[in-house]
Amino acid sequence: MASASPAHKPRRKNKNLESSSKSEALVRAPSFPLAAFLWPARSTLSQWEVLPLILMVAGLFRWAAGLWGYSGFHKPPMFGDYEAQRHWMEITTHLPISQWYFHDLEWWGLDYPPLTAYHSWLLGKIGSYIDPSWFALYTSRGSDNPDLKVFMRATVIVSEYLVYIPAVVIFVRKFSRFFGVAQWSASVALAAILMQPGLILIDHVHFQYNTVMLGLVLASMSRMIAGSYMWASVFFVGALGFKQMALYYAPAVFAFLLGSCIFPRINPGRFLGIAVVTLISFATLILPLVIGTLYDTSRGITSRPGLDGPPPPLPIFAFLSSYIDTNAFYYPLVEQMVQLVHRVFPFARGLFEDKVANFWCAANVVIKLRKYPTELLQRISLLATLGAITPPCAVIFFQPRKELLPYVFAATAWGFFLFSYQVHEKSVLLPLLPMTILLAGKQGLGKEIRSWVGFANILGVWTMFPLLQRVDLSVPYAVLTLLWSYLLGLPPTSLSAYFQEGQSKWAQWATALVHGSFYIAMTAWHVAERVVIPPADKPDLWVVANVGVGAAGFSLCYLWCLWKLIQESGLISFFSGTKTEKVKTK
Amino acid sequence: MLLIYNLEYDSWQTVYFQRITVIATEVVLLYALQLFIDSSHGVARRAAQAAAVSIFLSPGLLIIDHIHFQYNGAMYGILILSLVLARQKSGLLASGLVFAALLCMKHIYLYLAPAYFVYLLRVYCLSPKSIFRIQFLNCVKLGLGILGVFGLAFGPFAMKGQMQQMLSRLFPFSRGLCHAYWAPNVWAIYSFMDRVLIFVAPRLGLSVNTSAINSVTRGLVGDTAFAVLPEITPRVCFALTLLFQAIPLVKLFLRPTWDAFIGAVTLCGYASFLFGWHVHEKAILLVIIPFSLIALRDRRHLSAFRPLAVSGHVSLFPLLFTPAEFPIKTIYTIFWLVLFLMVFDRLAPASNHTRFFLFDRFTILYITISIPLIVYCSLLHQVIFGKSYEFLPLMFMSSYSAIGVVGSWIGFMVVYFTS
Repeated sequence: MASASPAHKPRRKNKNLESSSKSEALVRAPSFPLAAFLWPARSTLSQWEVLPLILMVAGLFRWAAGLWGYSGFHKPPMFGDYEAQRHWMEITTHLPISQWYFHDLEWWGLDYPPLTAYHSWLLGKIGSYIDPSWFALYTSRGSDNPDLKVFMRATVIVSEYLVYIPAVVIFVRKFSRFFGVAQWSASVALAAILMQPGLILIDHVHFQYNTVMLGLVLASMSRMIAGSYMWASVFFVGALGFKQMALYYAPAVFAFLLGSCIFPRINPGRFLGIAVVTLISFATLILPLVIGTLYDTSRGITSRPGLDGPPPPLPIFAFLSSYIDTNAFYYPLVEQMVQLVHRVFPFARGLFEDKVANFWCAANVVIKLRKYPTELLQRISLLATLGAITPPCAVIFFQPRKELLPYVFAATAWGFFLFSYQVHEKSVLLPLLPMTILLAGKQGLGKEIRSWVGFANILGVWTMFPLLQRVDLSVPYAVLTLLWSYLLGLPPTSLSAYFQEGQSKWAQWATALVHGSFYIAMTAWHVAERVVIPPADKPDLWVVANVGVGAAGFSLCYLWCLWKLIQESGLISFFSGTKTEKVKTK
Repeated sequence: MLLIYNLEYDSWQTVYFQRITVIATEVVLLYALQLFIDSSHGVARRAAQAAAVSIFLSPGLLIIDHIHFQYNGAMYGILILSLVLARQKSGLLASGLVFAALLCMKHIYLYLAPAYFVYLLRVYCLSPKSIFRIQFLNCVKLGLGILGVFGLAFGPFAMKGQMQQMLSRLFPFSRGLCHAYWAPNVWAIYSFMDRVLIFVAPRLGLSVNTSAINSVTRGLVGDTAFAVLPEITPRVCFALTLLFQAIPLVKLFLRPTWDAFIGAVTLCGYASFLFGWHVHEKAILLVIIPFSLIALRDRRHLSAFRPLAVSGHVSLFPLLFTPAEFPIKTIYTIFWLVLFLMVFDRLAPASNHTRFFLFDRFTILYITISIPLIVYCSLLHQVIFGKSYEFLPLMFMSSYSAIGVVGSWIGFMVVYFTS
């Protein structure tokens, strides 16, 4: 088996790194509060005693945060993400499958890939069994029934505990063992990852099901580390099928899988296997939609029930209609697939939607980008994105090593977030996930990684603040963010993540100064936003300031991930020189 | 927001403010627990830390104070302060005065007063060498101090001539024997037996009071009537409470150590909770919190504490009934129980007395039963019966908890008298 030999590698690594894990376990005193909380579990308790407790606490915080309002609560006419998700449960349970992607697109039309649609269908069925009025067609729009809210919150938590949580637990286990990190440190990292404020705020407070997609991505990464690349592709297709945003990772996945088929030696069998499995998973993903469409057509149900006469032109790929007969039996299928692509990838929208802390939005302050034609902007944006993601993908392609995966995923996702078009504030969760899981890796709880992971997360949550504040969620924002920064010993609650023995003084001071100035800027922004009313001609002043600071900080995060990637991959020869010196001094 | 006639005012600012006051006043509890930790030394210090954290994170306080809404955190903080002050000889006077002040804040603590009375009398007012040598100076200091505290609290009302009205508000004997959802005490078992006897009595030839059949489980605050068993009067409750308070106090009088004092306070709490009139399930904290301070003395204490910890907290579940609160109360309580029973188990030293064989087994069985019971009461019952027989889960809950509380009471009585 091709996958058998890489599976043995971690064990050998374990032995080599045993000494480092021991020294970690022998640390005298906890260096940050989360470690202090788990301190008594260090020697005596087994992992199976700590894990349930961590999961219970994580669940409690999620549920308690969910008692707050959700996006669009009492905000007619369109309400918000909560209504979108609820509406999808409504249409998927009531309409024939061929109409899902066509039904009343003005009111939160379905624009996520099929797995989300199936997920909504399942939840809608369960919910309708409890109370049919929650998802009644048309009449349930904008419902604010408190029982419905409890149900919806419960579906998020249950979905998360079925997908994301097992994926994180398994990933942390695999990743930390790969580096020979002590079990106790892995538990600390697990708790830190699960308490990540951004994810809780977006999924459990603001309302969405990102954790399902992120969980599938993590499962795919665990499989990559375990060396079973076919399962990795299955899980990744699942993630793509749940939320198209997983495309942020796609170049990294592609480069890694392709690289592992070529280096160190060309392995056509593996390549074919991955390709076939990927195609089969995609086919399985859209199979219900295909069969449903054909079945509906045979029953005389069309995708647009109110419409008579010849079918309307295709929304995109209009050239297709000159090749195909619109009366052919397969035409509804073509129409369905084109509609799916059209809904899932909104090419027609602008470069950026709201105020997002990415490069374009920040650049817009200086140069008014809206006056340039969309075509040109799209092309520039494509080029810039390619420029940003090529270096990390090239590294992983030529050196498909598993320990580099989180860095590549993070750098690629940062590249997309900063430079691609149609980015949403919430997309920052995508680069944050692979960065945060670094906590479980080598020296993950050490000061360097902790300070950078903390910086990225807190900055990420901070850029989501305008989004949360719009629906009066400042209190859970403040509580969850400060709690996490307290647990990990980060600013603004502590400076313990900076300055440690044994690192170069210069680098430490630089990190501390740069991070410090960002933390100060964030704090000052919060004060100013509370106290100072922006001038009448610049009503968006504070949001724009937020975007500018955020974009700058995220660019730093991108650069740091890239730098760490290059450093860890050993591309720089002089680095190996300094490494041996360090060993000598020890 | 504080206009008196503005009842049922619930703007979010008010909710924030009220909730913040609860959190802020818990500083008292924090301070008292720190004093408790500081007052223990050596090996006991680790145990004291664990106990203090367990009290601070108590699901009872979370459910009653932060969700249901009350200021128990601060109140129990004052109680613990007073208990800890009594540990040193120099703190005895202060302890008595703090307790007097506590009584003026919440009169439920009157139930614990006998233990204070006996302890302070023996240790502070009488000579440690002989009970026939009275230390008059101390008596005068304590007496005047307590009178001063009460005077400050009640004086303004007494001057306006409102004492009668106030006393009738404070001691509502006109209410029924059992509170709406039966608190898990002896009377819950009594009511449960009465319910069972309704079906059995005709065969035994006992007379059934038909008018009472439908009243016990109505879930309303009011008079409870028994169908088969004899009625219980407040006088009976009072007599039983005093009797079971007096028994441990005799021992406290004879051997007045601090541990015995805390034990006596706990047993006074037990007696009042188990036999009191119109007891609210919240009063279980009156037992759990003093008990926590000595639960880690040795394994025998701990094995009496375990069923109490489970039953006492489970019995609080009916206080919160909305589906949104359900996961919080259950998961938090299970978290607390798993964490602290595990930690306590590691920290409690072995006892130099032999343990009872059966008691431990009973505890394990009892704790295991709680899980299916919670599942049934909160989930299965609704699925099976829908909205009918709503009293059934409540009855099971309180009977189950009552068995645990009574069992731990008997266990602790034995531990108290044999150590």
